[in-house]
Amino acid sequence: MTTATTMSPRSRRIARPLQYLALLGYVIFLGFPLLFLVLTAFKTPQELISPNPSFLPTNPNFDNFVQAIDKANLIHAAGNSLLVAVSTTVIVTLISLPAAYALARFKTKLRGVATGWILLSQVFPFILIIIPLFLVLKQIGLVDSLLGLILVYTVWSLPFALWMLQGYIAGIPVELEEAGAMDGASRIRILRVIILPLLAPGLVATSLFTFISGWNEFFFALVLIQDPALQTLPLTLARFVGAEGQVQLGQLAAASLLATIPSLVFFAIIQRRLTSGLLSGAVKG
Amino acid sequence: MTLTETPLAASPPSRTPNGRKPQRRRSRGNRDAWLLMLPALVPVVLFSVYPLAQGILLGFTDAKAGLDVATNFNGVDNYTKLLGNELFWNSFRIGLVWAFGVTILQFLASLGLALLLNLDLRFRWIARTLALVPWAMPPVVIAIMWRLMLNPTYGPINEGLRAVGLPGDINWLGDFSTALPAVIVVGVWAGMPQTTITLLAGLQNVPTDLHEAAAIDGAGVWQRFWHVTLPALRPIIIAITTLDLIWNFNSFALVYVLTAGGPGGQTMLPMLFAYNEAFRYGNFGYAAAMGNVMVVVIAIFLFVYLRGQARSRLS
Amino acid sequence: MNKRSIFAAGGLVVAVSVALGGCAFGGGGGTEQESDGPVEITFQSLAYQDSTIAATQEIVDSWNKDNPDITVKLTQGSWDNVHDQLVTQFQGGTAPDVIHDESSDILGFADQGYLADLTPYISDDVKSAVSDDVWETVTSGDKIVAAPTLLQTYVVYANTDAFAAAGVEVPTGDELTWDNLAKISKQLTTGGNFGVGWGLKQPTAAIMNTALGYDGTFFDGEGADAKITVGENELAVPEHIHAMAYDDGSLDPVSLTQSGSDVLPGFLGGKYAMYIGGNFLAQQITESAPEGFNWTVLPPLAGSAGPVQAANPQTMSVAAESKHIEQSAKFIDYFMGAENQAKLAQGDWLIPASSAARDEVANQTKDINGWAELLKTGEDLSGAPFQKATNYPQWKDQYATPGLQQYFSNSITLDELKKQLTDGWASIG
Repeated sequence: MTTATTMSPRSRRIARPLQYLALLGYVIFLGFPLLFLVLTAFKTPQELISPNPSFLPTNPNFDNFVQAIDKANLIHAAGNSLLVAVSTTVIVTLISLPAAYALARFKTKLRGVATGWILLSQVFPFILIIIPLFLVLKQIGLVDSLLGLILVYTVWSLPFALWMLQGYIAGIPVELEEAGAMDGASRIRILRVIILPLLAPGLVATSLFTFISGWNEFFFALVLIQDPALQTLPLTLARFVGAEGQVQLGQLAAASLLATIPSLVFFAIIQRRLTSGLLSGAVKG
Repeated sequence: MTLTETPLAASPPSRTPNGRKPQRRRSRGNRDAWLLMLPALVPVVLFSVYPLAQGILLGFTDAKAGLDVATNFNGVDNYTKLLGNELFWNSFRIGLVWAFGVTILQFLASLGLALLLNLDLRFRWIARTLALVPWAMPPVVIAIMWRLMLNPTYGPINEGLRAVGLPGDINWLGDFSTALPAVIVVGVWAGMPQTTITLLAGLQNVPTDLHEAAAIDGAGVWQRFWHVTLPALRPIIIAITTLDLIWNFNSFALVYVLTAGGPGGQTMLPMLFAYNEAFRYGNFGYAAAMGNVMVVVIAIFLFVYLRGQARSRLS
Repeated sequence: MNKRSIFAAGGLVVAVSVALGGCAFGGGGGTEQESDGPVEITFQSLAYQDSTIAATQEIVDSWNKDNPDITVKLTQGSWDNVHDQLVTQFQGGTAPDVIHDESSDILGFADQGYLADLTPYISDDVKSAVSDDVWETVTSGDKIVAAPTLLQTYVVYANTDAFAAAGVEVPTGDELTWDNLAKISKQLTTGGNFGVGWGLKQPTAAIMNTALGYDGTFFDGEGADAKITVGENELAVPEHIHAMAYDDGSLDPVSLTQSGSDVLPGFLGGKYAMYIGGNFLAQQITESAPEGFNWTVLPPLAGSAGPVQAANPQTMSVAAESKHIEQSAKFIDYFMGAENQAKLAQGDWLIPASSAARDEVANQTKDINGWAELLKTGEDLSGAPFQKATNYPQWKDQYATPGLQQYFSNSITLDELKKQLTDGWASIG
């Protein structure tokens, strides 16, 4: 927007094609792998191991998908992931909302500590936490359980959720609340009628982030979930890959696609918000 | 991404001039704040602070796997052993190469894309949507996808090479010399969204009058970029590269599924190495000691980096 | 919060941590046994081929029918991460009652005290059907910690059409020496195709097993006292492989960097006249071979000490912390019955440890291509010291595998390999 209008017409003629070329390069780099994944999911096993495979599937069908679901117990794993991700999101939202409000509005010393912990928790490698966390969970009997995983995810997603929400709340002028207070409204009512509607987009964004990170998380699940019946989707996929038994590439691609669809859908929905509204909330200053 | 600094006072406006009411308000505000934070504080202390503290302590013990094995403090034994552990330092080096490689390349690539997206090009909505795709995919899926891409026999990369006559049977993820670069490329791919979006938002926040003023003064495109855009972006660049560096250094899932640290430890990131030490060989105390070392190094680096940035910003 | 309260809080956290950390990190003492009333025991099976999964399910179903008091719940695990899984599950006390693993892996857990002693529960029938050599591989100290089920050997599969086309006679007899293998491999390398393809991405197990053919034992002594010697005997097999790949050009070097199942399509497609891999791969060959593909199994590979390979049986164990040790052991005993083992063996194309089961299998597979030769390769198996060396898994991961991979990709010399293997063991100890 800015650079183009202030470039001379002649340099624009040279620059333009180069810019389009660069853009094309990026599009290929970013988009081709996904395209390949989709194509692979629709190819038959014979096609995939033939010495001269064609680019497009010659006989596109859903066999791979059906078999992947059947063999890998994908639906079950997806169910586990869904349960964990949704529960985490609900709990995180419930407890981070008041805390974020406190952080944004109150000038307590705790704020410094909280900020410090938020940053610090990003830095600490998981390995330090996971071993004693394992011990703690073992003492309350929650190792190898989805509830234990939910607890861990909640605590792990909290810093980022707090940070985001706090930014959004801070972006809502406090004068609005004060005006409401002067009009005689109780704090609860202020929160409900004034803050919440304005906070809605930020709340949605935060919830989505929390959901996606719970859906995609791998490390904690890898360590804490050993019972095959409780595996989350990323775990099932990762173990699909291994196995000295012959890996059916088509099925693997199909399974991976299926696992990604929810995230892709969510991101498609909030794509517009992401590039505008969301960032204005978090990137202040 | 800087944290907001709330310039607004915490307590509601006082109604009396003598300050007594505000004081009561403030202490009630404090108590309110605590109450509001309590539901968040409890799980955090139980499942984050406490385990973290114990994790750090574990680094000074000889905790091992085994039924009824007692854990004893062993002072700095773990650390002396670590000093001589060539494999650990090797993985540390690999971790640094990986973190810096991915962060820098990712930054450059994302900056390029952000600049392009900031222009008035047609079809840029395609690029903008695609730029988000890696973000939407679980790291496990990204790893699987790239394993398919890099497959020496059936992958499109090698097929493309063969099609143009170049040698096309390199096992990218299995060859000692190509494994780390290949993995870095995947890391860049996976990390582009957040950096691109952040930089794009920053670019869009650069006031256009600055650009126009510079243009009027006769500054060319490149000069404007260097002297207007970059300085304005600086705080964001610092923030996002710092975060990226930390995230990348601590990265696990992507490389675990791509190569599990192989071949022969060529892509063994420190996190993978520590994970193996703890959950493959059962040396929990030793692994915690590794974690401690990693944290200290990161902390030192961060401190130096940020202080340097703060200083140069002030000057 | 002022500085003092921060310190106080911090101190409290530390104090609590120390107090709790001082307790045993591992599990508690002995577990109570529940023996009255109906019980449910969990059995995690690692079978992954469709036929074997079906066979396992059949066995479990028939047990459940005959034993309504002891219900076996079958769950599906994976070979790739069973080790990590057991480390965590043993630590957390959530391991299944009946554990399916393999001897070289499970013995490490036995050392850590996580496996129950099965000696009192193994019936005489089962005991006598398996050779003492193989029982050695599942004994820790003087306790039997696992029942050996199926054995794997490394065999040479041959594309008989390729042999015919090159005018090479298909070897028969009791053994196939490495020198002979190299010779015919060279003869079969024509027209862009290789004599041999071998997926050695994970080389250590294969080398440790086949080295016994030259008496290459690598380790002396047991447990934490095991010492390593890497001499001519130990390096004989790697040297052969290296020579075939880089001196003769008869072994595809790229295949050495791939996994077995990645190399298989090349064999089925005619790129390799011979294909070396575990005997369980016969199942996949049978399933995915194209029409008209003729293959057989060559005699077992032999070095100077004969066609000896290490016995590394799959195992069935009981967790020491299980609440139903006796019931689980009973199930294992049933599982070890000749008929059941024969079913499993055929599903996986593996060799039963029990001789009674082997006879069953020979009977039932009289007309199936490849079985007779396969069974022959399983006759000369004995335990190897590496299975009882503590820290073997770590040495394997951190030094043996990278070292062998580098050697097979021609990046280090034989002497450097030797040094890496020896020094690596020293640095772990």
